[in-house]
Amino acid sequence: MSSIEPFNRLVKLAARAFYDDITTKGENQQKIGRSDNRGIAVVILDALTRRQWVREEDLAKDLKLHTKQLRRTLRFFEEEKLITRDHRKETAKGAKIYNAAFAATGDGQQTGREGDDKQKMHTHSYCCLDYAQIYDVVRYRLHRMKKKLRDELESKNTVQEYICPNCSKRYTALDALRLISPYDEYFHCESCNGVLVAESDKLAAQELGDGDDNARRRRHEKIKDMLSKMEVQLKPLTDQLARVKDLAVPEFGSLHAWEARANAAGRSANGDLDANDPSKSSHGFGGTPMPYVGETKVEVAFSGIDEKGETLKSENASIPMKVLPPWMIKEGMNLTKEQRGETRAEITTGGTLTAAKVSDDKTSALANDEEKNIQDEYLKAYYAALLLRQSEQEETMKRQELASATISDEVYDTTTDRLVGMKSKRNEDYEGDDVEWEEAPPTGSTTKQFKVDLNEEAEASEDEDDDDIDWEEG
Amino acid sequence: MFFHMVLERNMQLHPRHFGRDLRDKLVAKLMKDVEGTCSGHHGFVVAITGIDSVGKGLIRDGTGFVTFPVKYQCVVFRPFKGEVLEAVVTMVNKMGFFAEAGPVQIFVSNHLIPDDMEFQPGDIPNYTTADGSVKIQKESEVRLKIIGTRVDATEIFCIGTIKDDFLGVISDPGATS
Repeated sequence: MSSIEPFNRLVKLAARAFYDDITTKGENQQKIGRSDNRGIAVVILDALTRRQWVREEDLAKDLKLHTKQLRRTLRFFEEEKLITRDHRKETAKGAKIYNAAFAATGDGQQTGREGDDKQKMHTHSYCCLDYAQIYDVVRYRLHRMKKKLRDELESKNTVQEYICPNCSKRYTALDALRLISPYDEYFHCESCNGVLVAESDKLAAQELGDGDDNARRRRHEKIKDMLSKMEVQLKPLTDQLARVKDLAVPEFGSLHAWEARANAAGRSANGDLDANDPSKSSHGFGGTPMPYVGETKVEVAFSGIDEKGETLKSENASIPMKVLPPWMIKEGMNLTKEQRGETRAEITTGGTLTAAKVSDDKTSALANDEEKNIQDEYLKAYYAALLLRQSEQEETMKRQELASATISDEVYDTTTDRLVGMKSKRNEDYEGDDVEWEEAPPTGSTTKQFKVDLNEEAEASEDEDDDDIDWEEG
Repeated sequence: MFFHMVLERNMQLHPRHFGRDLRDKLVAKLMKDVEGTCSGHHGFVVAITGIDSVGKGLIRDGTGFVTFPVKYQCVVFRPFKGEVLEAVVTMVNKMGFFAEAGPVQIFVSNHLIPDDMEFQPGDIPNYTTADGSVKIQKESEVRLKIIGTRVDATEIFCIGTIKDDFLGVISDPGATS
């Protein structure tokens, strides 16, 4: 979830900067409802940042908006290229797929979603923020704003435009030769013979009333003022753009792909008893493991069990992350330890007996049940030994690893007894507050804490590593 | 900007020119045909400076015309964006003024004339500074910078600016008269 945060912030900033007051401009006429509904656009965009693909009716219900009003706004955003929409005729089954997918994303907003839709053959519309495009759109918009002001300020290198007030046909100075009339000194429209008006003159006249000599100077001042104001006021937005620049963009894909992914992730998480853990949302989110959506990988970094589980269970599990080369790691990326290349060290040093062993187990890929049993024994011994001196965070971490182990065990019947044992152990271990534990994995700071803790116990494991190899061969 | 380049053209020559001075006739016709024309790609052909080669003529069935492929050197003139040119003002009006640099027509809109120059309507419309020291009217020579070109297949039109350093009137015939 963390990687999307800068982008969500970008969307929110852009919404407030550009779409806060969309009732003013004439071309956005559709926004003007009977009542004053400015600000709705911002609300909708904010709501979309908290969702992925969402059915528009559901969104309307959540926002307590009329669907028509919502649609109008969404259509506007679609024209603005902020969101992608998908319309499809779907039966109850299709709706169910979506519901399942939605539930699997675990966004916490799907309360009562399952029951409430009439499952007829209906055209449903879905919408989703298109972060990549939003980034481009916002940048382009800023660029155009600046360019327009600068050009006007310098009023050089600009091709003068002329507009016919009658038929609003536009000409540029390049057409000048065709427009001069032999009778007077004005340009005349080719189609209606009306006198053309220089466009910026018209603007100036509108804004300042008279078109005398001072007007130009005053306009100049005004534009300069606007430009500096714009730079100051849009500073947060440009900053955010710069921050987001090097991040990979969260991609939900098309509605269909997203559903498929989310469902798959949901299925994998269903058997999980501690079902609300972040691995779920990360699956629903990324589906295919993205290098920066790393919650599962955080778990991996702490415990070998999890890794083993993932290798065994091939279907939904993300493959262990590759270590990113240092030049790929940029500021603002949310990487797991493993991606930064620190896991290796963690496992060998902080890795207590079990962790190291199991990671080796993973690499050998020959894990079978006997080995697992031995591992379990090691695990138990390990837990017993460490139980006293482990910090609370470590314990929560352990619980997490166990939780993920249960996911894998669910797939393989052979390991069920281990599952039971593990669970009971976890129960006897420590029942800390769930909230803290759930928050822990995604944030970078806490993972660092883990690492520190693990390093403290580093020395113990060195010879055990050797042991480990023997054991594997045996 | 001027370029010296080699171009090629298929010349059709009437049979009545066949004789001793066929080649001269051919060159004369080439000059008449080509000089002063404008192609969007190369610009204006200003002058032919030499004939490289005249290929084998091909007699057309029915007409007796002969087609010679001719390679010739010529000077072409093509205005570019950003280029600074000297031009003669041909017309002044409220919207700005038109000027010619050789074959090229250039329009300078009143937005691209320095702010201190005001349009003065009258018998001789002109742009004049407040103190009257600088005057742009018909036949004035101005130095201007091209900021936009419109290149058609057979026509090039430019817009220019004199709102920049060292641009503006070079010599003012109105000042002496």
